[in-house]
Amino acid sequence: MNKKTLIAAALGALMIAPLANAAPLTIEIDNIRTQTGTIRLGVFDEAGYKSDEAVQGANITVDGAKVSVTIDGLAPGSYGIKLYHDVDDNGDMNTNPFGMPTEPFAFSNNAAARFGPASWANAKFEVTEEGAVQSINLN
Amino acid sequence: MTLSRRHFLTSSAAGTAVMGLGLNLPSAFAETSGMPDWHLGYTSAPASGFEPSAMRLVYGKVPAGLKGTLYRNGPAQFRYGADDYASHWFDGDGMVQRIAIADGRAVHSGRFVQTVKHRIEQAEQKFSAPGFGTAGLMSFPVSGPDDVNAANTSVIVIDGQLYALWEAGSAIEMDAATLATKGPKAWSADLAGMPFLAHPKREPDGTVWNLAISGRQVGVYQIGAGGGLKSFGMLDIGKAAYIHDWAMTERHLIIMVQPWLNESLRPPVVEGFEWHPEEGFKFLIVDKDDFSKRRWAQGPARAFYHTGAAWEEADGTIRLDAALYKEPVLGVGGGADEIRGIWNGPDAGFISNLTQIVISPSGDARLIETGLDGDFPQVDPRRHGLPRRLTALVTGQAVSQPGKTAVSVHDWSSGKTSTFDFGESRMVEEFLFVPKPGGVREEESWLIGPVLNLKTGTTDICVFDVARISDGPVCIWRGERAWPLGFHGTWS
Repeated sequence: MNKKTLIAAALGALMIAPLANAAPLTIEIDNIRTQTGTIRLGVFDEAGYKSDEAVQGANITVDGAKVSVTIDGLAPGSYGIKLYHDVDDNGDMNTNPFGMPTEPFAFSNNAAARFGPASWANAKFEVTEEGAVQSINLN
Repeated sequence: MTLSRRHFLTSSAAGTAVMGLGLNLPSAFAETSGMPDWHLGYTSAPASGFEPSAMRLVYGKVPAGLKGTLYRNGPAQFRYGADDYASHWFDGDGMVQRIAIADGRAVHSGRFVQTVKHRIEQAEQKFSAPGFGTAGLMSFPVSGPDDVNAANTSVIVIDGQLYALWEAGSAIEMDAATLATKGPKAWSADLAGMPFLAHPKREPDGTVWNLAISGRQVGVYQIGAGGGLKSFGMLDIGKAAYIHDWAMTERHLIIMVQPWLNESLRPPVVEGFEWHPEEGFKFLIVDKDDFSKRRWAQGPARAFYHTGAAWEEADGTIRLDAALYKEPVLGVGGGADEIRGIWNGPDAGFISNLTQIVISPSGDARLIETGLDGDFPQVDPRRHGLPRRLTALVTGQAVSQPGKTAVSVHDWSSGKTSTFDFGESRMVEEFLFVPKPGGVREEESWLIGPVLNLKTGTTDICVFDVARISDGPVCIWRGERAWPLGFHGTWS
């Protein structure tokens, strides 16, 4: 099994107090091409998805083609995930001179980008009191 | 089967005979049935490509010393199913044609560039990617320009490596022998996904310069003869102009900012372009060795796709030639009628003027117009960026079909033009200069290019002696098939 590392505060995530009825969100990331660096992800509610303010986040050390992380403390509701693979571990999503990402990125539901991030409508999923699992393919 | 479907399509009599046999006709037949003969140039190529096939020498004598490979690229997927047509000629998937010439023989093969767009659309058998002239489906994923890269505009070979070129995405690496697609080229890790224009310029020493365009931002690549990136710089041209081609002297880059502007760049991209003649035609002249040394010159508003090349005189005067139009052509819906077999006759708005643009050392640009209606200007590669006299181009507007019927060479020093007109029933494509071995002068070159022969239903490869253009081709090879009209090629 992969070693899992959970570091909060990725992407400027805000820590919130765990709720009594909150259930775990497990995020599995597969198809990782370059097995170095860190996957940096943010979990967003609808308002934060557009303004890029995450309610939770994680930094996952990449040591295999597949990694996963479990995030606790989310209130039941709708969320979306944005993540990128910081292959060179410089703390930023690298872009080319025209601003296009040069490191792999993905969204919850494997929602496709279209001239920008995947839409909230396509990326949103429900976290219930039983929790949720998101399997994301990194291309 | 190697005997192509197209072989059957070249005469209606053959078509009737095949139908009489009750054979299960290939879909390409249905596509061509009822279409005018010139539609062969806009008919989808077989998805599996063209297997290598020897062409026959049908005219003349092959010049001694003519040895090399002509690569060409152009859109070759125009329709899926009964009526799903490409929305714009520029959005058909690229297919690279390879004509290998050695020992007096020519062998043709062709392969689609296996882009993301091509793979998805072939699997779904429908057009779905957004593009230059296509809105596309919202379901088509676009995480970067290479997801919609049509790789259909040109080709270049650098140090033996073949690249298929588009203008808004990466160069796509291909195997120069088999035409197998390798994938997008990143000239360095931090330049992954950067566009690579379809008109790179090669200095006589093999150094290649090219641009990346995104709105008003222009990236400049300098690539060594060995294929490695030597430098990359950025320029701001102030306006998001349509830039398909540009020019280069020995010392300067000349970014040609025509007043065809688009601030939104959302697909279909072409619909966002607006013609602003009041802006004039601006030229940003940049020192190759120091991008901070730059100046602007201005000339009267013109539209263009293609330049020949530029050179610089001792006093700093820059001269360059280009096929200029009064207003943009092939805008919204460009080529869409032809793809459907419709042609409404010559269009008075679609007349170019081979023009020399003269930029004085400290002043603006003036135009020397030849009145010669043509396009696809080409020059002697030994003189790219250096003083020269000759420009080859495709001329002679056809009356009964789209496209041109003639090849011309214009001599800027004498003002004279030599032309050979193949006549109606031929569609002439870009001709390239090929220096004769041991030759020095510009005339010591051949011109080589394809001509779609509507009488035989074949694409013919024709060779001219630049010194005797009006005498006609010195030799012609003919295969057993035609392939779609292309845009640009390279000789390697």
